[in-house]
Amino acid sequence: MSNNKKYWKGVEELNETPSFQESKNKEFSELIPVEDFLGDANLLENSQTTRRDFLKYLGFGVTAASLAACETPVNKVIPYVVKTDKTSPGVANYFATSYFDGNDYCDILVKTREGRPIKIEGNKMSPLTKGGVNARINSSVLSLYDGNRFKSPMIDGSAVSWTTFNDSIKKELSAILSKGGKVRLLTNTIHSPSTLRLIAEFKSNYPEADIKQVTYDAISYSGMLEANLESFGKAVLPSYNLSKAKSIVSIGADFMSSFPSSIELTHQYASGRKPENGWMSKHFQFESSMSLTGSNADVRVPVKTSLHGAVVANLYNYIAKKVGASSVSAANIEIQERIEKAGEHLLANKGASIVLSGSNDKSIQVLVNGINDMLGNYGSTIDIANHSNERKGIDGEVSSLVKEMSAGSVDALMMVGVNPSLTMPSSINFNEALGKVKLAISFASRPNETTTNTKYIAATPNYLESWGDANPKTGYYALIQPTINPLFDTKQFEDCLLSWMDKSESYYDYIRATWESTLFANQTESVFFGDFWNKKLHDGLYISKPEVLEPIVFAGNVSSAASQASKIVSSDWEIEFYEKVGIGSGNQASNPWLQELPDPISKITWDNYLVMNPSDARENGFATEYGEQKNADTVNLTVNGYSFENIPVIAQPGQTKGTLGVALGYGQAIGKKNEVIGFNAYPAMAMNNGSIAKYSTDVSFVATGEDYQIATTQTHHTVMGRTSVVRETNLDTFKNGSKDDYNPAHILSTGDGPKDVSEIDLWAEHPVKKVGHHWGMSIDLNACIGCGSCVTSCNSENNVPVVGKDEVRRSREMHWMRIDRYFSSNPEDVEQRNYTSMETPEENPQVVHQPMMCQHCNHAPCETVCPVAATTHSDEGINQMTYNRCIGTRYCANNCPYKVRRFNWFSYQNLNRFEALNPSQDDLGRMVLNPDVTVRARGVMEKCSLCVQIIQTGKLEAKKEGRKVIDGEIETACASACPTHAITFGDLNDESSLVRKASESNRSYRVIEEVGTQPNIYYQVKVRNTETNIA
Amino acid sequence: MKLLLFTKSKVHFQALFVFLFLFAFSTTKLVAQEDGEKLFKSYCASCHSTGSNQLVGPGLAGVSDKYEREWLYNWIKDSQGLIASGDADAVAIFEEFNKIPMPAQPVNNEQIDAILDFIKASEAAAPAAEVVVAETTSESTSGDGSSDGGLFVVLGLIILFLIVISILRGVSHSIQTVRAEQIGAQNPEERTMLQAFFDWINANKTIVALISIVILSFVAKLGWDAAVDIGIYTGYQPEQPIKFSHKLHAGTNGIDCNYCHSSASFSKSAGIPSPNLCMNCHTYIQEGPQYGKEEIAKIYAALDFDPVTKKYGTNQKPIKWVKVHNLPDHVYFNHSQHVTVGKIACQKCHGPVEEFTVGKQHESLTMGWCIDCHRETKVQMTDNGYYDEIHKRLPEKLKAQYLEDGTITVSELGGIECAKCHY
Repeated sequence: MSNNKKYWKGVEELNETPSFQESKNKEFSELIPVEDFLGDANLLENSQTTRRDFLKYLGFGVTAASLAACETPVNKVIPYVVKTDKTSPGVANYFATSYFDGNDYCDILVKTREGRPIKIEGNKMSPLTKGGVNARINSSVLSLYDGNRFKSPMIDGSAVSWTTFNDSIKKELSAILSKGGKVRLLTNTIHSPSTLRLIAEFKSNYPEADIKQVTYDAISYSGMLEANLESFGKAVLPSYNLSKAKSIVSIGADFMSSFPSSIELTHQYASGRKPENGWMSKHFQFESSMSLTGSNADVRVPVKTSLHGAVVANLYNYIAKKVGASSVSAANIEIQERIEKAGEHLLANKGASIVLSGSNDKSIQVLVNGINDMLGNYGSTIDIANHSNERKGIDGEVSSLVKEMSAGSVDALMMVGVNPSLTMPSSINFNEALGKVKLAISFASRPNETTTNTKYIAATPNYLESWGDANPKTGYYALIQPTINPLFDTKQFEDCLLSWMDKSESYYDYIRATWESTLFANQTESVFFGDFWNKKLHDGLYISKPEVLEPIVFAGNVSSAASQASKIVSSDWEIEFYEKVGIGSGNQASNPWLQELPDPISKITWDNYLVMNPSDARENGFATEYGEQKNADTVNLTVNGYSFENIPVIAQPGQTKGTLGVALGYGQAIGKKNEVIGFNAYPAMAMNNGSIAKYSTDVSFVATGEDYQIATTQTHHTVMGRTSVVRETNLDTFKNGSKDDYNPAHILSTGDGPKDVSEIDLWAEHPVKKVGHHWGMSIDLNACIGCGSCVTSCNSENNVPVVGKDEVRRSREMHWMRIDRYFSSNPEDVEQRNYTSMETPEENPQVVHQPMMCQHCNHAPCETVCPVAATTHSDEGINQMTYNRCIGTRYCANNCPYKVRRFNWFSYQNLNRFEALNPSQDDLGRMVLNPDVTVRARGVMEKCSLCVQIIQTGKLEAKKEGRKVIDGEIETACASACPTHAITFGDLNDESSLVRKASESNRSYRVIEEVGTQPNIYYQVKVRNTETNIA
Repeated sequence: MKLLLFTKSKVHFQALFVFLFLFAFSTTKLVAQEDGEKLFKSYCASCHSTGSNQLVGPGLAGVSDKYEREWLYNWIKDSQGLIASGDADAVAIFEEFNKIPMPAQPVNNEQIDAILDFIKASEAAAPAAEVVVAETTSESTSGDGSSDGGLFVVLGLIILFLIVISILRGVSHSIQTVRAEQIGAQNPEERTMLQAFFDWINANKTIVALISIVILSFVAKLGWDAAVDIGIYTGYQPEQPIKFSHKLHAGTNGIDCNYCHSSASFSKSAGIPSPNLCMNCHTYIQEGPQYGKEEIAKIYAALDFDPVTKKYGTNQKPIKWVKVHNLPDHVYFNHSQHVTVGKIACQKCHGPVEEFTVGKQHESLTMGWCIDCHRETKVQMTDNGYYDEIHKRLPEKLKAQYLEDGTITVSELGGIECAKCHY
């Protein structure tokens, strides 16, 4: 066996703790919870109910229930009064629109059924996102059906009509405008050409008044904007092209999840990671907390955030020395050798490399620009002319606005798409300043921290109910169209502004006018505007001619930047503020799908916590293992003078020693009971060097001695130590070696000599080969980054219930698809652990993300043990699960080597225990359910069906059109959501299909194939671009 | 069912053939009437009915009695000319119908005669049709009482049986007394009927056991049948908000099923037509043959439509029909698969809907019923590229096995696998 690395899912498994040993052999972490409904044992013994009484009630109950069941249910069927042309019951309609919430931009398709949006998919026509989405975006459809949304505008906490609302605002506003008062619009980044035109018109309508728009990004890239202003004269973010980059060095930039344009960058990144092309990009990541991007890096160097400036300065000097430029001042740091390795690789790929930094410090970004300029990356992999518009907020302008407000000089403040009371640093004292504004108007779709502090609340619609347009990049335009009539009495910001300006036209007309006068006027493809508009509305986007690349002149002052950046503040501890893959900046913290999505790195759900390196945790006496019985320890934390009480500490392998990390976006009330999830870390941030710093060295903590329950899926559904599930190699071995070197076949010794495992069969061959279709899937571990987009997409397609934190703690999460995150370390490192080595395996492990769902085995172990034949194999290779037949013995789950079967412990859709968070408990939340998929009842098994409803629909379309199924037209929910196209689905019997080719490739293997299950899901060996042979 | 329909239509064709053969040369009148119907449908039916109800123009019942034939020729061929000439009748009609001009029709006098003959013939036929409708309705309502009647019959029989037994017993007792007197024996002991019954049971245990077994098996059978029927609603015929008759629309008027249930050909559900579709005809047809204006008015109410001014209001309310065919939630059924791909006639599952006055569930809709059909039904493979591809992939061995009986059935292509309907 070429691969003798040790793989482990968590510290528990690495250390083989007794509790892990005990739990890993259990499919279900506890017995059937009879106590839950029978009360506790004492109560039961002292009960007055006799056995006879019990039997009487039981008998009566059964009879009553069966009599009730005999009654014919009367179902009503209500047709439309006037049916629209294209909406037919039972037929899905797709609308192209786009998503932008100030953080993520994506071109999407919205699937609607009977007029209800039920699913978000990527728009494959988009040259930016190429059909990819992320978890936040495909979950956003559930936010539309949030029962906590504002149902009408509010004044002083009571609901009013729009007429009353508009009248009172107009009265106050006109008084302010006529006397030349100060009106401020505090918005998130807006790149909509029509909204910007409208705001400009609003300004010019009242020349006597002082009107200004201030852009505020909760997660700011102000430092980068200012650095580009200094370096190139434009306060913009550049466009990157990672697909051309052979060398990628990221210093704290989480470009796969939180960085602007992350979906676009992720797709580009994956296209440069195909070893079959003969080359692969090499990715170096210098970071403090382990990010999604860091977990996918070839070389990950843990380094404190406060040293990022020094890292960049040293990298600058190394390259400057080689290209003959003058060096800058740089402090010496320990990891000099690793910086030089990165520099060496960058220099070897001049013009085909990228250096990125996630820092919000202008000086660091100026140095990064300097490095990219020396490497000649501008014009090849980085484009400033065709720039991104996705962030525009300058922190300095925001803080001066708050100063103006505190001084009482701001008369009117309109807050659009922002929640400053939640996200502003506490030192800015925003709430106090807000109290001094005469007319404060909050535009919000649901109650938040800011709306509780404002008199006027304008209820805004969800983006799926709104009109809009977008201009995320130079020359790239997109439309936003409503896919459902507004559910509540809401009005979008633009419509409000139009009516306050006494304009009769709607925002829809306004957008049309914008497009007609600007985009339509400069094109030649359509003669009539109506034709142009309809085409663009259908496609969802319009691309005008790209700007010509002009020669870039770098004018940044690197030496002053370096002296600023490489200042080192030494402290015992420092803390980094990061964004989680699910919650992001917290715009959608109220979305239960996102809360229940396990974080790709920590695998923790429903919580915010402090992360720490395991050895640091051990030194400080904190627990490093968590489970149903084992809780996390808590601390009282003080950052920049702001204190948090009783927050849990999590030992996170890969966290840089001496650093802490905490996620932003939590601490918001969600669900019917307004439960607050986690704590809000935003207030602890502080301004530094004119921008909001994403880390702080002013941090201290004290253990409280208390503990806290954590819901982690880390060690759930282990595969019984069969670590052959993961296969990886390095690029050299892949290029120069044979298949046996990195992907050997499983040979079993038999009486007739050694045989390939596929030749040994307990059962007769299943007739899937060559008969009709044979559905299969291939998952490229090299392309999978573990982002979880497939998981939420699957939840939305297959009506997977939300179970809540308590159930996740009991290993009862219902996700059909999970992403197993394996840490790995080289055997030598593990050996060293026994000696007095500097580095322990959990200090900087390598990571493999492996999507795992039903493997649809042709010889499925689950099928043979089902006593009622509820799980059977179809001739098309699908392991079918028939819920109405299942009696819930759970034998199948016990016998599944992949642990992918889920048991319905409860009626999640109507048991009041799940009322607070399960969206399908009310009529509004149920609107998101996919009508083609059964909502499973209590007491049955469920699992991935390979999206059989999509397969059946696709086949039916082909049959109706009398043609064969075209490869690629049928795509499972996970495959279509994947931003890196890691998942390929198709017909293995179609010899020209992509999945057939993938299944025959040298990198292809099947998980736990050695037990003879013959799965229909293939995996492709992960190839790392590392020097030492890690295999 | 399909076979039955086929033979029926065959009989119909044969009859028509014999009919035509016998009368083709001798009875021109019949041919004229046939033509008259065709002509009426192509030229007149869009604005006129053969009854007395008004569409765009007046109902034509009795028109040949009301006007001179010559006047009718002129009116039909050029009504505007007749009005211009100042004909009093013509002007009166023109005024009465809001000055909507009747377009000149390209027909000759013989054709007009044929049309008028046809109108006359339909007048004679109309009352008969109404009787038929009335009969079927009464039939469908009386069906419910039958089970109660059966119970009374059984009870009556039991009482009769008991009376006969007690009479026979009395007779037998008298005979025995008489006989005892005759032979001078002691009078038989006076015993109650119950005692006698028990004595008889004691004496004939085998017979009692046999009878008990028969009775118990009968009860068990009844119980089993009742249990099996739980959840099966064959014949379910709920009352609907509108007394819509498929017999009238699909049967008498021959409207294609797909006209109203168009989504059956492309969607999962066949769809209940929305009232705006009804208005394609009912804008003009404001009166039905049986319920007059009452039922059609419900469509107008739903759409807030004023039949006089022909204007729509804003107070629209949907019609809440009662669903007749209910499948459990865990069953996926797609109409288009069956209608468009499988080319299955609607009647195969829904029964002779064109004969139903009130919609009802014709088949059991059980899983066994689905599977039976999937086992027998041949896949419509001809001229379908999808099946060509699937067929091409079949190994020779299987091809031979499947085609043993000359057909490939739905189940042979996996049509009875669980996940074809349950997911």
